[in-house]
Amino acid sequence: MSEISVKAVHAFDGLITPVGETRPAGVVVSERTELALAAVLARKRRAGDLAALVANEFGCHLPAPARRTEGRDISVVSTGPGAWLACREAGGYGFAENLAETMQGVASVTDQSDAFAVLRLTGPRVRNVLAKGIHLDLDANVFLPGHAAVTQCGHVGVSLWRLDDLAGGDAAFEIAMFRSYAESFWHWLSVSAAVYGLAVAAGG
Amino acid sequence: MSQPFRRSSGGHIDRTQPITVSFNGKTLHGYRGDTIASMLIASGSHLAGRSFKYHRPRGILSHGSDEPNALLSVDWRPEKGEGRRDPNNRASVVEARSGLKTATQNHWPSLETDIGAVNDLLSPVFVAGFYYKTFMWPRKFWDKVYEPFIRKAAGLGDAPEVPDADRYANRHAHADILVVGAGPAGLSAALAASEDGSKRVILADEGFKLGGALLNDVTSEIDGKPAAVWVEEMVAQLDARENVIVLPRTTVFGYYNHNHIAMVERVADHRDNAPDGLARERLWQVRASKVIIAAGSHERPLVFENNDRPGIMLAESARAFINRYAVLPGKSLVVATCGASAYRTALDAKAAGMDVKIVDIRLGEDCGPELAEARSAGIDVLTGHTVVKALGTKRVTGVVVAPLGNDGSVGTRRTLTCDCVAMSGGWTPSVHLFSQSRGKLAFDASLDAFLPGQSAQEEVSAGACHGIYDLSEIIADGYKAGGSDTSVSATATFTGFQPVRVLPTDADPKKVKAFIDFQNDVTAKDIKLAVREGFESIEHVKRYTTTGMATDQGKTSNMNALGLVAGLLDRPLPAIGTTTFRPPYTPVTFGALVGPSREDRFEPVRTTAIDPWAVANGAEFEPVGQWRRAHYFPKAGEDMHAAVARECKAVRTSVGIFDASTLGKIEVVGPDAAEFMNRIYTNAWAKLKVGGCRYGLMLGENGFVMDDGVVARLAEDRFHVTTTTGGAPRVFQHMEDYLQTEWPDLDVFITSITEQWAAIAVQGPNARKVVEPFVSDIDMSEGAFPHMAVREGFICGVPTRLFRVSFTGETGFEVNVPVDYAEAVWKTLYEEGRKYDITPYGTETMHVLRCEMGFIIVGQETDGTATPDDVGLSGLVSKKKPDFVGMRSLARPDMLLPDRKQLVGILAKDPNEVLEEGAQVVEDPSLPVPVPMIGHVTSSYFSSNCGRSIAMAMIKGGRARIDQTVWVTTPKGFTEATISTSVFHTVQGEKVDA
Repeated sequence: MSEISVKAVHAFDGLITPVGETRPAGVVVSERTELALAAVLARKRRAGDLAALVANEFGCHLPAPARRTEGRDISVVSTGPGAWLACREAGGYGFAENLAETMQGVASVTDQSDAFAVLRLTGPRVRNVLAKGIHLDLDANVFLPGHAAVTQCGHVGVSLWRLDDLAGGDAAFEIAMFRSYAESFWHWLSVSAAVYGLAVAAGG
Repeated sequence: MSQPFRRSSGGHIDRTQPITVSFNGKTLHGYRGDTIASMLIASGSHLAGRSFKYHRPRGILSHGSDEPNALLSVDWRPEKGEGRRDPNNRASVVEARSGLKTATQNHWPSLETDIGAVNDLLSPVFVAGFYYKTFMWPRKFWDKVYEPFIRKAAGLGDAPEVPDADRYANRHAHADILVVGAGPAGLSAALAASEDGSKRVILADEGFKLGGALLNDVTSEIDGKPAAVWVEEMVAQLDARENVIVLPRTTVFGYYNHNHIAMVERVADHRDNAPDGLARERLWQVRASKVIIAAGSHERPLVFENNDRPGIMLAESARAFINRYAVLPGKSLVVATCGASAYRTALDAKAAGMDVKIVDIRLGEDCGPELAEARSAGIDVLTGHTVVKALGTKRVTGVVVAPLGNDGSVGTRRTLTCDCVAMSGGWTPSVHLFSQSRGKLAFDASLDAFLPGQSAQEEVSAGACHGIYDLSEIIADGYKAGGSDTSVSATATFTGFQPVRVLPTDADPKKVKAFIDFQNDVTAKDIKLAVREGFESIEHVKRYTTTGMATDQGKTSNMNALGLVAGLLDRPLPAIGTTTFRPPYTPVTFGALVGPSREDRFEPVRTTAIDPWAVANGAEFEPVGQWRRAHYFPKAGEDMHAAVARECKAVRTSVGIFDASTLGKIEVVGPDAAEFMNRIYTNAWAKLKVGGCRYGLMLGENGFVMDDGVVARLAEDRFHVTTTTGGAPRVFQHMEDYLQTEWPDLDVFITSITEQWAAIAVQGPNARKVVEPFVSDIDMSEGAFPHMAVREGFICGVPTRLFRVSFTGETGFEVNVPVDYAEAVWKTLYEEGRKYDITPYGTETMHVLRCEMGFIIVGQETDGTATPDDVGLSGLVSKKKPDFVGMRSLARPDMLLPDRKQLVGILAKDPNEVLEEGAQVVEDPSLPVPVPMIGHVTSSYFSSNCGRSIAMAMIKGGRARIDQTVWVTTPKGFTEATISTSVFHTVQGEKVDA
């Protein structure tokens, strides 16, 4: 294996830019460029083993449908029956490979690190913006931290999950879409958030 | 004085804010709080339009969204240029603002003088069903005479001719309780529902001022307070609650499944200084746990001769104009009624200084306390009287009335002069939304109305739409719907009416125009004719006569029509039933429905990681599904033909580079992966070695070609499947469907990896030289890495799945890399390729090159009815496998017929002529029409490599027709061509057999 000699271009490079009045901004966005992702599909009749393995290896529950859990150096989002998206910060292309080895025989693992573009959206008006594209009830008392959904946003298929609120109390969501939709999604987001002001935070 | 009929005080208008509006080029004066209708009445005029069929002058019938006549074209921001005008706005609900430019509709040359009024004299021609009767013969008139005539006459208003210049917003919302309507019931319901703060409540009302009918009420008191004060206090309480969203100017127009409610909010039209970029309207899609419908009721007109003359309006509407808008509908008013509520109008009109008489069809002993109250106020009341007809043309000048005998006979006529008439035929609860929710209506004979019966969803109706008309009961019903048993004391309401379908008359009913449906110009005699001609179902009567159609959907007219039909058929009214209530409740702009999804944002566009490079390098693009793909890369001065010819040559002589990232890619993983592939594809997979590739053909259950693509085996239990660009979602679903429903025993999992891996195709004799320098961990030698093989390693240090495949016939590699690095790897290969004059090419060149080799494109050569054998791929159908999807269908007798269309080449006699794709092929064009068709052209190009045009076609029994001369249709006639084999180009050097 040799060193990567070329430069990565992330999904929102060249797109992500502040919109409207940003002092203060109603919404703050950043791209999660370093998040490694892997689709995890439980093998037949091995879901229990997979849950045990995840608990042992990563110290977290395998999330129930429409939920997300966090473990040691990993988070896991439910994306469908027997299907999860495993995420690791700065996991690189080795993440899926290692996970496949760890889960050998109990789950099928496929690298999706570049397949999804992931944005983190926070700010006092984040729910107002999401309400323009997502038909789910994202009320603070309904869609709690640790809740997740596979849905549509402005005609683009997305996975969505809520993180713990920021220190200041603002809600935080992450939203993942197939990368080829980034340009269209950005158009939707920038138009929808313009009235509240959209600021860009450092990625990561 | 510009507002001679404006009262000096009162009303919900702001006299400190005078406004002017353009109306047919003239200036109307009024105040904030007015509608166009109230401003027109303030000016002393009622003339607000011409009727649809007979072009009769029409006035203002109502004060609400049920207005059928006064439809206006409104240019909302004429100062901002074109694209802000829309038709069919109801003058009675357009919130007036200085700067609006309004115009009446359906007349020429002017509202006052309309040539079309001759239709009124020709009315025997325009009877019910005249479309079906009048435009039958002669046949040759159909498209040249009748159709243009009907098209010109049909439809209300003129559709805008330029794109809508406004922006429209949309949003979703969730509520525990959505209250529709902010009249006394709705306000009470919303207050009760939001009381403890635990529920999210949305209150929406179509009007610009909340309060509903209480805005028209200057006499009622609620708990000792004037009604208007009570409304203000209720609204203030609701506004103060954080759990309540109050939405005026918001029409609930659709009630769908799962309490999914659609409503449109007018955001900008009423604002004096709407900032640029502010959305004009906002579409709300609400999911509510419970819906409280407090939509009120519609007053019915009375049906008598010339009941459509301007100056004749609904009684409650007259009250609204007098009290809410502080305008008098005239000086001398006749109230014609069959019920009690209109007496309140008479009393208020009298109090406002009008000269008032009441004509009541009821006998004195059938009336309630309203009669005595009217008489004690000094109003002349003629009980037991009918209205025979109205006098006047562009404005009512009087009504002819007559006493009714005990036997129903019509007595001596007398004329009451007046300049306005307030009529009331009783009340119809607004059950539109309840019906849209699929709830079942129940007929209440005592109220002569259909009321909400059995619910289909979690909703409840309250107030007048629930058949409750007394104010204190309405408020109690609202509180109850909101979950409270609060009651109030309120002034008693005059309620009750004696239903009458058509007022008794001694005139010849055949010569009388007494309108049931004002908007569609449907008269009582039209309904009678329809019934006489055998139409009994109310749905048929509706379509035959058009009653209840168009923008008002018969809100005022339906019950009169139903009652008349029931009477004619001598059946009880509930046996007739109602027509279906459909969304929208009132017209909705397309802009609001479409929102931001318009023009190039009509649907999302998918772009590849290499798209920015293609843009920077001058590519022309084409849409393929949602993808935007580079079509070709013209150099300066090149047209598409020249660019494609150059690109094609380059690939065959040196090397080309192509973005194949949009191809569908699916990873099939699991212990039973090979078995799954065996069942999904026609060919065999068990023996494909790890590192090998194979072209796969996939059929639907019907045995027809569904998709194709190269499949690589990465491991014993892991396949990397490619599909066509457009077919990827379909194939994924097909696989998932079989896994979940047919073969749940298979331990196989599929994941789309289309978006994970970008694919860069490097094709041509020099392809290896371009790729090889950057590859590590892969033995690139011919022996170690043959054609139709896959290797995993690195390129530029990036993980790659490197395919040795070719869709061009030349040596080729498809470099799959994770998408983040695709652009960088592409640029690296492109720079290296400059040594060999590397040429980027697009989808058009890809198509030409594969056609030169005779490779099919699924969806181009195939049309969903082609078997593998039809397209010459029977060799890919395993004879040994026990089963695969589509296998049984291939054995059906008609799949084996010799005259099935088969894929062949077809060469125009003139080598420079490019046949048209889709062109029909015949054996002999001199045969009489219809000439038997033997097939069609599927692909056709000019091939620079072949030095001539080439084409493929599906031809009946085509493989037996090689060298046969045929004729192909062209835009001008036929051209001669020869059937050939479908391989047009032989690649020198390296042999490929993709």
